[in-house]
Amino acid sequence: MSRIGVFVCHCGENISRTVDVERVAAQVGKMPGVAFATDYKYMCSDPGQTLLKKTIQEQKLSHVVVAACSPRMHEKTFRKAVEAAGLNPYLCEMANIREHCSWVHEDKQEATAKAIEIVGMLVERVKKNRVLPTITVPVTKRSLVIGGGIAGIQAALDIADAGHHVVLVERDPSIGGHMAQLSETFPTLDCSQCIMTPKMVDVANHPNITLYSYSEIEQVDGYIGNFQVTIRRKARSVDEDKCTGCGVCMEKCPVKKIPNKFDCNLGMRPAIYVPFPQAVPNTPVIDRDNCIKFKTGKCGLCQKVCGPGAVDYEQEDRLVVEPVGAIVVATGFDLYTIDEKPKGSMIKGYGEFGHGKIPDVIDGMTFERLASASGPTGGKILRPSDGKEPKQIVFIQCIGSRAREKGISYCSKVCCMYTAKHTMLYHHKVHDGQAYVFFMDARTPGKAYDEFWRRSIEEEEAVYIRGMVSRLYQKGDKIVVMGSDIAVGVQVEIEADMVVLATAIQPRTGADSLAQKLGISYDKYNFYSEAHAKLRPVECATAGIYLVGACQGPKDIPDTVSQASAAAAKVMTLFAKDKLEREPIVARVKEAGCVGCFACKKVCAYGAVEEKEIRDRQGNLIKVVAYVNPGVCGGCGTCQATCPSKSVELDGYTDEQIVAMIEAL
Amino acid sequence: MIISQSTMDVDFVRKVEALSGTSVRRCFQCGKCSAGCPMATFMEHPPNRVVRLLQLGQWQRILAGRSIWYCASCETCSTRCPNKVHLASIMDALRKLSWDAEGPSKESYVQLANKLFLQNIRTYGRQYEMRLAAVFNVKSGQFLKDLMLGPKLISKGKLKMFHSKNKNLPEIEKIFTRIEEMRKKGEAL
Repeated sequence: MSRIGVFVCHCGENISRTVDVERVAAQVGKMPGVAFATDYKYMCSDPGQTLLKKTIQEQKLSHVVVAACSPRMHEKTFRKAVEAAGLNPYLCEMANIREHCSWVHEDKQEATAKAIEIVGMLVERVKKNRVLPTITVPVTKRSLVIGGGIAGIQAALDIADAGHHVVLVERDPSIGGHMAQLSETFPTLDCSQCIMTPKMVDVANHPNITLYSYSEIEQVDGYIGNFQVTIRRKARSVDEDKCTGCGVCMEKCPVKKIPNKFDCNLGMRPAIYVPFPQAVPNTPVIDRDNCIKFKTGKCGLCQKVCGPGAVDYEQEDRLVVEPVGAIVVATGFDLYTIDEKPKGSMIKGYGEFGHGKIPDVIDGMTFERLASASGPTGGKILRPSDGKEPKQIVFIQCIGSRAREKGISYCSKVCCMYTAKHTMLYHHKVHDGQAYVFFMDARTPGKAYDEFWRRSIEEEEAVYIRGMVSRLYQKGDKIVVMGSDIAVGVQVEIEADMVVLATAIQPRTGADSLAQKLGISYDKYNFYSEAHAKLRPVECATAGIYLVGACQGPKDIPDTVSQASAAAAKVMTLFAKDKLEREPIVARVKEAGCVGCFACKKVCAYGAVEEKEIRDRQGNLIKVVAYVNPGVCGGCGTCQATCPSKSVELDGYTDEQIVAMIEAL
Repeated sequence: MIISQSTMDVDFVRKVEALSGTSVRRCFQCGKCSAGCPMATFMEHPPNRVVRLLQLGQWQRILAGRSIWYCASCETCSTRCPNKVHLASIMDALRKLSWDAEGPSKESYVQLANKLFLQNIRTYGRQYEMRLAAVFNVKSGQFLKDLMLGPKLISKGKLKMFHSKNKNLPEIEKIFTRIEEMRKKGEAL
């Protein structure tokens, strides 16, 4: 016979205002199996929990029901208290008489009656609760970092410095990401290369980091602490171990006029190339679409001139499997493409502002390459059309961002600041030039950010005009920009030599397919979703996977670096234990009844269902049944609902428990 | 009229900044000056818009209007500005530049009235209202303006038919010359 204790909480006045808690306690006290029932003002407070613990011991309670708020709020609190009193925590249940009752009803009589019914259901349910042991799983203390931009680099270095091995996977031939493309960085104007390249070299030299550049994630299996990640190492056509990075192959390559994506197609590169001179690893890659050898079978010049014989035309994609315990996702962003719509994306192209049609209308990243000392113009700001220095330059903010009509309603967060930076870089390089900025709002929340923006106006003499540009058009070799100053209420027309569009940040093309491989959730834009916007900002809802940088939402460098270190700390917390404990709310197969139809396997969203062979002592196969891996199971209960022979049960939510609840009504 | 580069006079902004000793560019258009200005309702450009027009080098628009003359120099704007823009000084500078400019400011009756008022003081040592009103009406081209008020004012002794001179006229002349010299040297507005 169970001795159930029921504790009814007033929640200050939240519950007691509409529910007669004393009557609830009195009524429930009369129910069969209930040995004790009381009410208290704040059950979750220290005296409330002490009352709970003391009563469990004094009354020798076998089960506990706390009638209070939602289990989402305090189930953990009370289960912990119950455990401290010597009971199995899973013998404690919560009856939600706040969100489900007092907050949504006005009539005290009816609300009290409903509260009694709710508590009664939980009393019947808790009678069927089983003692559940905590599940432990081992932890592989190696980590995978996806993406070699500043986010991935910082996370990898932090984890590696803590003494754990890191596998860093980068899709492009070199790590560095978008930050390597930038000229200078706000709000301090320090050169991006100067602060970035040392970190890239650290990654290459770190004994705890394995760098797979020019590689992509093929498949992810397993669960927290025990992932098996298959990585596709794309054929580079150059042996990384043999190559010395001398660069002779690049000099001799007869194909020289391929637009370099790294330089926003302003500079040219050969068919065998490193994207930029400071690349890590400094190993060239052959662009097979443009190489004469791959197109016609002739040439082969790079192989002939290569001293160490590193060029290998026969190289093929290789698959590598790495066991890891944690995954850090740092895949970054793409810039809004103005004239094309990414496949499968809800985001529309702009179709305005002449980008792609007028050669001197460029985007912010192109301006960065123009202003960069290592860029295609050697740091001189010159028009792409005729190579002249623009004396009148117009910057337009919020291109794509906050344009609901185009499918983006978010703010890209960095454009206000980088446009302010652009006006400064321009003023430093073109002293007799004048910069104009058309903007809707200036959003500068960050340390020393607003001061930076004001400096661009007050000291660097940029003219900021509040009001969005309605259209621009080519007139001779000028671009006429038509806007308005909303403070004055007058239309403004500027004849510019060059126009720079501050285009929005959007998720990487293909971000959704990686998310599906990883089993993590993403929002309508394909930004990856964190587990909790405020309290778990770097964790995914999927255990063991962490988010860093712009793949989670638009972010600047300081925020990205902080988030990278935060995620690294989370990984280290995970690796601090040899075994992981997790809630035992998992599905369990009753092997006797299982017929091996594997309907459960088909519906399992977590890939937790495996096939298990049952053999007799002689080793003869009796039957194949389903087995739920408790480390992977998410406890959703879909298998239980699907199983035709009722052979799967979700612990804590068994059919028996649910039916008992219904019958109590 | 559209604002374009050809009408953006950045030198004028620098002139105002030098004269007023305060930054014009610093204003970020919060609107607090206009919110508290007792004269704002009478101005075609409220104080914040005067500064914004100034930032865009639109001096013709400012000087052609009456806003700067409606400013009562109460300095509420300067006192309340969160960004240390001394708007009252900017207004002073604009009035001075309007005074100097023989351009659009001619349209401003306020400036004409002020000019005639001071001329009278210089000539007679005190105000001679009859002459002030007559010359103002002629010069502003509104000959019959307020004509019917004349007899009333005369009968009450408020308007003298003939002028009387101040006996300390040379002293007053000294004040005028001194200020003129100071302005030449740039010591006064």
